[in-house]
Amino acid sequence: MSRKTLFWLGAGIIVLLLLPVFLPRFYVYLVSIILLYGLLATSLNLVLGYGGIFQFHHAVFYGVGAYGTTLMLTKTGLPPMLAFIVGPLVSAAFGLVLGIICIRLSKLYFGMLQISLGSLVWAIVYRWYSFTGGDDGIHGIPIPEMLSSPKSAYYFTLIITLVCLFVMWKIIQSPFGSALQGIRDNPVRSEMIGINVRMHQLLALVLAGFFAGVAGSLFVVVDNTVFPDMLFWTFSLEILIMCLLGGWFTFLGPMLGAAVIVALRTFVSTYTDYWALVLGIIMMLVIFFLPNGILGYVEEKFKRGFIEPEIEEQ
Amino acid sequence: MLEVTSISKTFDGFKAVNNANLAVGKGEIVAVIGPNGAGKTTLFNLITGILKPDSGKVLFNNEDITGLSPHEVCRKRISRSFQIVNVFQRLTVFENVQISVLSREKKTWNLFTPSASLAIKETDEILESVGLLKKKNRTTALLSHGDRKVLEIAMALGGNPEFLILDEPTAGMAAEETSRCIDLIKKLSQTMGLTILFCEHDMEIVFGIANRIMVMVRGGTVIQGSCEEVRCNEAVQDAYLGGSDVCLMSGGLKHITA
Amino acid sequence: MDAVYSIIPAGVLSQVFVGLSRTTILFIVASGLSLILGVLRIPNVAHGSLYMIGAFTAFTVTKLFGGGSAGFWMALIIAPLVVAFIGLIAERGMFQFLYEREHLMLLLLTFAFSLIFGDLVKLVLGGEYKSVPVPHIFQGFVPLFGDLPFPLYNLFLLIAGPVVAILLWLLTNKTKMGKIARAAAVDREIVGAVGINVSRVFAIVFVIGCFLAGLGGVLVAPTVSVTLGMDHNLIIEAFLIVIIGGLGNIWGALLGALIFGLTQSLGILIWPQFGIIFPYLAVVVVLLFRPTGLLKSTW
Repeated sequence: MSRKTLFWLGAGIIVLLLLPVFLPRFYVYLVSIILLYGLLATSLNLVLGYGGIFQFHHAVFYGVGAYGTTLMLTKTGLPPMLAFIVGPLVSAAFGLVLGIICIRLSKLYFGMLQISLGSLVWAIVYRWYSFTGGDDGIHGIPIPEMLSSPKSAYYFTLIITLVCLFVMWKIIQSPFGSALQGIRDNPVRSEMIGINVRMHQLLALVLAGFFAGVAGSLFVVVDNTVFPDMLFWTFSLEILIMCLLGGWFTFLGPMLGAAVIVALRTFVSTYTDYWALVLGIIMMLVIFFLPNGILGYVEEKFKRGFIEPEIEEQ
Repeated sequence: MLEVTSISKTFDGFKAVNNANLAVGKGEIVAVIGPNGAGKTTLFNLITGILKPDSGKVLFNNEDITGLSPHEVCRKRISRSFQIVNVFQRLTVFENVQISVLSREKKTWNLFTPSASLAIKETDEILESVGLLKKKNRTTALLSHGDRKVLEIAMALGGNPEFLILDEPTAGMAAEETSRCIDLIKKLSQTMGLTILFCEHDMEIVFGIANRIMVMVRGGTVIQGSCEEVRCNEAVQDAYLGGSDVCLMSGGLKHITA
Repeated sequence: MDAVYSIIPAGVLSQVFVGLSRTTILFIVASGLSLILGVLRIPNVAHGSLYMIGAFTAFTVTKLFGGGSAGFWMALIIAPLVVAFIGLIAERGMFQFLYEREHLMLLLLTFAFSLIFGDLVKLVLGGEYKSVPVPHIFQGFVPLFGDLPFPLYNLFLLIAGPVVAILLWLLTNKTKMGKIARAAAVDREIVGAVGINVSRVFAIVFVIGCFLAGLGGVLVAPTVSVTLGMDHNLIIEAFLIVIIGGLGNIWGALLGALIFGLTQSLGILIWPQFGIIFPYLAVVVVLLFRPTGLLKSTW
């Protein structure tokens, strides 16, 4: 990574670290939400943008992670920190199970089967009042004291998000990441050079499920609630929108998309009840004019003027 | 080295490959020729595991590899290039070949080392041997068609194969690119000792470099033999020329179309 | 009849038939989605919104005509046409430029539409529950199962379903347009190369699909309260039905709707709390064994 990029990243992190000093509580909460949504969207991008898998119901893993953590915190007497590990592990396990079931199908059918399995999970959570709180969800979840204030929740979220993003970045840069991108571009070719496509995709799904579960656990810390809509397919589509808006062949695109969506939603909702209308229009504009997202567009603009650093041929 | 016996594949009632036979000895260059739709690519798909045969066997070094999945076939050191260019569009030339090398070195499960630091020497060597080293940082979208076909071959080489299958390697290439490709194939056989199986429509190329030729018509093997045998074989003439008495002399008919 | 009742209690039978009449609605909406998904390959998430617009339009039209039965019959004709018209504008205005794009883009575009439609309905008609009265002819009950009264309107729905199915089948299999559409579903390039205006065929299929969604909305209106959010609930069900039935397959949509409707009714009877899970479970089971759907799909 170039010096310039590192500089900007460092600056950004310092700004994020100092935010709670300047901003009122509500905005600190908002940035926490942006961070964890960004993490969630990036985890989706891991399989979608870098893996080419049609993950249409990513919200399932987010919700399962959140519920897993919540149930550990509310139903068992086990140490809270354990809950924060168990949640993502459960969603990773879900990723594995769903992956094994769906992976033998190609693109759209994979997405469809995932939607149906996800809907099944949603229906169960929605109805199981005694265990999951049903359609009310669970509120007032006991969070360990050192994390319970908005500021500490924010720092916890920030640190975990940065660590997870770093790990995901490393994964994408690794040979596994290269293989995954190869599979995205050409699964037949990948098979033919010795890559076991199914196994690699399965691992990608498990990883994506894990990080989505982390995002879910972070939500529990920040918001102290959990509810079935977190698993509903409309939320999956919103995560997709964040990836698209920010740019899904770029690493930081989804985070940017999350920031834009959350900020806009908060801003627009103070003026009008019709956020869905606004979001719909924005989506149309993006689909027609910015199909590679904001960062994708920026990247294209920058790379246009580039002459090859290697030796040019005649 | 490779023995294909009585292999068949039917799609929805259409017999794409019908009891075809093929034998390739170690170090040989064997060509498969036949009219369009004769089943050559399907045959290659059956050998490399992309399709499973309905009947018949594929033996490689006396090992039964029938029905293995493509990545397992690759591990047996059989590599292949595709007729329609099948590369990784969003990645650079270097990355395309590098993935192949990393796969061979079984490194694709590595989650943490940056790939940019791995397998540079091996990848560069392969790019050098096919003449693409200067363009290593180009995205494949910016390559000429001929270069992309060569990249195909380079990716196949990444697996350090003993046996190379090339599906119409010069299709769509300009004249100069074609002769460079032929030189490459010769080099791969002579200097690197690879056994090569390929299919082509350009008869000059076929008769120029193949040791033996297998002729496929309508999914079945008409004949497999040396260039001479094939040239003067009546069944081949029937299939290609509709029963003419002309004996195909080299330098004569260059391109055969059905 | 008594012999039957000794095996299956009348209450169960009655529930089953109520479930079946709901199946009609599901089938009609799902068949529209199946056409759009099967022929145009658009995963039309907005289909639920179109259904909702149909229901709300039925309410508006009924009110316009004095709130009586005449209003319903007018709505039955007008509402689907309104929805079809909206579909036409959307297709000509936007979708036809995007057919070359990936499914994901089309999916997100239809999702954008569903967001916009949802809010537009809220804007124009407000968020409270609306109700549409059952037309006079169908008010009242029929003693169908021993002494148990069966709503006449549901009987109407039960008959309407197969009628629509047959009409659709005739349309897609016996008319020239239908045959072209089916060919275009499998390979649009070849159909275009033969000189047929594929674009026009697609527009027609899309409009018919939207019409069906609107029709479903009108028909369901007397049986439920017309609310915002009916789109969300329905769209998942419609999608799942289409998937298990086979994309582009009308009979598949019927079969899927039957499976879905029946498992839902029986499920609620057997296990009231978790009854709604049964249809989803059935879908998962079907997809595990037949991932491309029970009947032939055009993909």
